[in-house]
Amino acid sequence: MIAARRASLVPAPGLLRAIGGAVIGLALGAGLAAFGLQAELGQILALGYIFALLGFLLGIGAFRFWLTWAAGREVDVAEEHAAHGRAGDWRRYFRFTTDHKVIGVQYLVSAFVLFFIAGTAAMLMRFELAQPGIATSKDIYNTVMSTHGAMMITVALVSIIGGLGNYLVPLMVGARDMAFPKANALSYWMLPLAIVLVASNPLLGGFDSGWTAYPPLSQQANLGQQAYLMAFVTVGVSSILSAINFLVTVFRMRAPGMSLMRMPIFVWALTVTAALALIATSVVAMAFTMLLFDRLLGTSFFRASRGGDVILFQHLFWFYSHPAVYIMALPGLGAILEIVPVFARKPLFAYPLAVLMFVSIGVMSFMVWAHHMFVSGMAEFFHIPIMLTTELISVPTGIVFLAALGTIWMGRIQFKVPMLWVFGFLWAFLIGGITGVFLADVPTDITLSDTYFVVAHFHYTIVGGTIFGLFAGTYYWFPKITGRMYDETLGRLHFWWFTIAFNATFIPMFWLGIEGMRRRVADYPAGFGLVNLFISFAALNIALSVVVFAFNMVRSWRRGPLAAPNPWRAQTLEWQVASPPPIENFDQIPIVTDTPYQYGSPGAAPGSLGAAPARRLRP
Amino acid sequence: MLLGVKLGILSEVMLFGALFAAYFVIRGESSEWPPVAGLERPELLLPGLNTALLVSSSATMQMAVRAARGGDRSRILRWLGVTLILGGIFILVQGYEFATNGFGLDAGVFGSTFYILTGFHGAHVLAGLGLMAIVTNRARLGLVSAEHHTAVEATSYYWHFVDAVWLFLFSTLYLL
Amino acid sequence: MSPRRHLLTAAAAWVVLSVIGVVLVAGMQIIPVIASREAEIENGAFVLLTAASVPVLMLVVVGLAYSALRFRSTDELADGPPVHGHTGFQAVWVGISVVLVLGLFAYGAIGLVEIRGAQAADFQVNISAEQWAWHFEYPASGVKSKELHIPVGRRVQLNLMSMDVIHSFWVPALGVKQDAVPGRTTRIHTTATETGTYPGMCAELCGLGHTGMTTTVVISNQADLDAWLSQQPRGGPAPSP
Repeated sequence: MIAARRASLVPAPGLLRAIGGAVIGLALGAGLAAFGLQAELGQILALGYIFALLGFLLGIGAFRFWLTWAAGREVDVAEEHAAHGRAGDWRRYFRFTTDHKVIGVQYLVSAFVLFFIAGTAAMLMRFELAQPGIATSKDIYNTVMSTHGAMMITVALVSIIGGLGNYLVPLMVGARDMAFPKANALSYWMLPLAIVLVASNPLLGGFDSGWTAYPPLSQQANLGQQAYLMAFVTVGVSSILSAINFLVTVFRMRAPGMSLMRMPIFVWALTVTAALALIATSVVAMAFTMLLFDRLLGTSFFRASRGGDVILFQHLFWFYSHPAVYIMALPGLGAILEIVPVFARKPLFAYPLAVLMFVSIGVMSFMVWAHHMFVSGMAEFFHIPIMLTTELISVPTGIVFLAALGTIWMGRIQFKVPMLWVFGFLWAFLIGGITGVFLADVPTDITLSDTYFVVAHFHYTIVGGTIFGLFAGTYYWFPKITGRMYDETLGRLHFWWFTIAFNATFIPMFWLGIEGMRRRVADYPAGFGLVNLFISFAALNIALSVVVFAFNMVRSWRRGPLAAPNPWRAQTLEWQVASPPPIENFDQIPIVTDTPYQYGSPGAAPGSLGAAPARRLRP
Repeated sequence: MLLGVKLGILSEVMLFGALFAAYFVIRGESSEWPPVAGLERPELLLPGLNTALLVSSSATMQMAVRAARGGDRSRILRWLGVTLILGGIFILVQGYEFATNGFGLDAGVFGSTFYILTGFHGAHVLAGLGLMAIVTNRARLGLVSAEHHTAVEATSYYWHFVDAVWLFLFSTLYLL
Repeated sequence: MSPRRHLLTAAAAWVVLSVIGVVLVAGMQIIPVIASREAEIENGAFVLLTAASVPVLMLVVVGLAYSALRFRSTDELADGPPVHGHTGFQAVWVGISVVLVLGLFAYGAIGLVEIRGAQAADFQVNISAEQWAWHFEYPASGVKSKELHIPVGRRVQLNLMSMDVIHSFWVPALGVKQDAVPGRTTRIHTTATETGTYPGMCAELCGLGHTGMTTTVVISNQADLDAWLSQQPRGGPAPSP
C-alpha cells in the first residue's frame, strides 16, 4: 500500500539490519572520535558504542513508529498491529515484536544464555581457586571474576521481571498487553548490544575492579572497565523504561473487579520491584556516568588530589545497589509465594500482610545502603542508625517465611518440581537471611567484611531467592508458555543435583570467611587448600545440573507432551486461557470477584471466563 | 500515557538528585568554595536573565496547553512558538556564559560539578526544545485537537520539570 | 491427627532442637585467634548471634520437615482447608521478630561503642598503603618499617592513609579492619591482650597485587618493643617507587 510505504521512514527492519546498523554506527562514532576529534581510546570506544547502539536500534526498527509520529505522518495502524507478530512464526523472536509474550520469552532465553556464560566464568574461577598458587594469572582471574559478577547481576536483575514478568503480568491482571508495547520491545532490544559489550571486555584489556567498580581503582587504565560501565548504564536505562511500563500497566490496566488487594502476589512483588527500579537506577547511572566523565573528560568527582571524594562514589553506588538486591530478590519471592498455594492446595496465608511486607521492604531498602560501607572510613555517626535499619528490614523479609509456612502447614502438598524449588528456596533464603544479620551487626561485620563469608551470604540470598525463584517459575509456567509439559524426572534430577551441589559449594565458604580468607583473591594460604578443592568440585556439579535443565527445556519445548490449559488447577487468570495463550490473551476481558487463592472453598472461581477452548497449539 | 510521563520524570528527579547530592557532599567537605585560589564564582547577571527566561517560558508553555485543550490551532502555534524562542535564547545565553566563565571542565572538582550539573540540565533543555519542535510541527499539520493533545500535555510536564531543576540549580550553584 | 496435635508435636521438636543447638553454641569460640580487647568483644557478638539464629533456623527447618512428612497429598484432586490467615499468629510472629531484632541491635550498638572506646591513645602508628605494600611509621621514634609492632596492654591508634587506590588494613587476630582511602586519614584503635606474631592483609580489591598484599603484626611487651624500635634504622626502608 502506498500509504504504508510512505508512513514508514525506515525500510523493513530485522536483526540483520540491526547488526548492520550497529556496525555502521560503530564505524561512524569511532571514526568521528578518532579523526574528527583526535580523541583517546576511551572516548573512541564511548562514541563508537553510543552510535552503534543507536544504529542497532534503528536497524531493528525500534524507532519506526515514533519517527513516523514525530514527522507528523499518520502511523499505519495495520502495520502497528502486525508488529505483534503472528502465532507460530519463529522469526518474531528475532524482530522488534511488540507482543509482551514474545518479549517475555526473549528476555527469559537471553537471561539463561547469559547465565550459562557467567556460570562458565565461575567455573574458570573455581579452576584457579581449586589449589593454592596461581594456575592462570592474576590478571585473568580478576577479569573473569569481575565479568562473572557483572553478568550474574544482570541476570538476577532482569530474568524474572523481564522474562516471567513481561509474559505473565498482563495475563495475570486481565489485560491484552502491557501499557506501552513498543517501549517494552525497545527495553529488550537495548540489551543484546550491552551484553556483547560486557562479554567482550576481555578483548579490550579486561577490568579488575569487580562489579562494584570503586574508584580510584576503576579510574585507572583498562578499556575493559569502560566497556563494563557503559554496558551497565545501558541495562539501567532499559530497566527504567521497563519499570514505567510495569507500573502504568498495573495501575491503569487491571480487569474490572481486580482491586489492588485482589492482584496475585507475584504482580505485587513485581510492582514494588518496578518502583524500586524506577527510583534507584538513575542514581547509579549517574555515579557510573560521573566515573566515565572522570575517565574521559578530565572531571574530578572522585579524584582526591583535585578535590573529589572517593567515598562519595560508594554512597551513590550503594544507594542504588542495595535496593538493587531487592530488585533481584523480590521477583523471586513473589514467584515462590505465587506457587506455594497451588501445590499446597491452600490459600496464600496472610496475603494482606505479605503485600505489606513487599511494600515495606521496598521503602526500607532505601535506608540501609551504608551497611556495605561499615569499614569504608565513612562518617562514624552513620554506623548505628544504619545497623538499626538493616536489622529492622529483616522483620518484613521474615514475613515471606510466615506466608509460605502458613500456606504449607496443614496443606495437601504435591511435590511437583516447582514445589521442590519452593522448599529449596525456603532453606537457602533462610540461610542467606540469618547470615545477613551477622553482616548487619557492626562488631561481627568488622571481621566478616570483604571475606568469603560475604560471598556465601549473597550467593545464598541471590541464588536462593532469585535463581531458585527463577527455576521454580520457569518450571511452573513452562506449560503455559510453551503449551507442552517438561519432563518431571529430569526436573527432579536437576533440582536435587543443583541443590545439593549449591549447598556443598557455599556452606564451607562461611567457615572460610571466619577463618580469614579474603574475597576477590586468586590465591590463598595453603591451609585453605582442601576446602577450596572441595568447593570447586561441588561447583562443577552445579554446572552439570544446569546442563540437565537446559536439555530438559529444549527437548520438552520441541517434543514434550501437549499441556492442558490449566495442568496445575491454579486460579490466577493466565491459567484460564489456552496454553500458550492467544495473541490477544483473552477473547473477552474477565471479571474478577476475589483473590486467586480460594483453594478449599467450594465452587471457587475467582475470575470467570467460561471454559478455555482446547486449542491446537503453536510454538 | 501521562502517568508514564510522570513516572519518567520521577526517575529524572533521582538523576538530578544524585548530582545535587554529589555537589553538596563535595562542597560540604571543602573549607572554601571555590576550593582553588584564582577561580571565581560566576556572576549573577546572565544566570539571572536565564531564570527569567525559563520561568516565563513555563508560563507560555502552560498557555499553549490551555490552547490545546480548547483546540485552537493558531493559539497553540503562537504559544508553542514563543516558548521555543524563549528556550532557544536560554541555550544561547548559557553557551555565552560558559565561554566567558574563565574556567573549564578540568578546573578540579569546582569545574566538574559546575559543568556537569549545568551540562545535564542544558541537555534536558535541548531535548525539551526538540520535543516542542515536533509537537509544534504536528500542530501546524492540524494533528493537535481538543481530544488529541496528550503530547502537548506531556511536553508541558517535562518542560515544567526542567524549569524547576533550573530554579534549584540557580539557587545552589549561583546563590548559595 | 487434629491440627492442635500437629502444632504441639512440631513445637516440641522445635524446642528440643533449639535447646540442643543453643547449648552447643554457647561455649564456642568463633573467631579463631583472639589477641585483643576488640576481638574478644566481637567474639561475644558472634556467639550471641549464632545462638539467636538457632531457634530461627529450627523454626523453619522443623516447619518444612514436618510438613513434608505429614502433609503430603494422597489425593491429587483434594484441596486443603480454606485458611487465609490467623491474625493472632501473625501478630505474635511480627511482635517477636521486632523484639528479637531490637534486642540484637541494642547488643550490637553497645558492643560497637565499647569497641570504639575512648578517643585517646598513647601509642600511634601511621600506616600508608600503596599498590601493593604496607608501610608503617612510628612517629614517636621516627622509625619506618614494613612490619607492624605494637605493645601489649596499651591502647594503640592506627592512622591509615593510601597513596593510590582504596586498600583496607585487616588484622584478624586484633579484630580490626578499616579502609585506607586516598584523600583522607582514617583511624582505628586497638588494645592488644596477647603477645605473638599474627598476619595482616589488605581487604579491599586494589588491583593485581591484592592477593599478595600482606604483612606481619608483632605484639610484644614494652621492653621488647623498645628494643626492636631502637634497632631499626632511622628512616627505614623507603616505599617502592
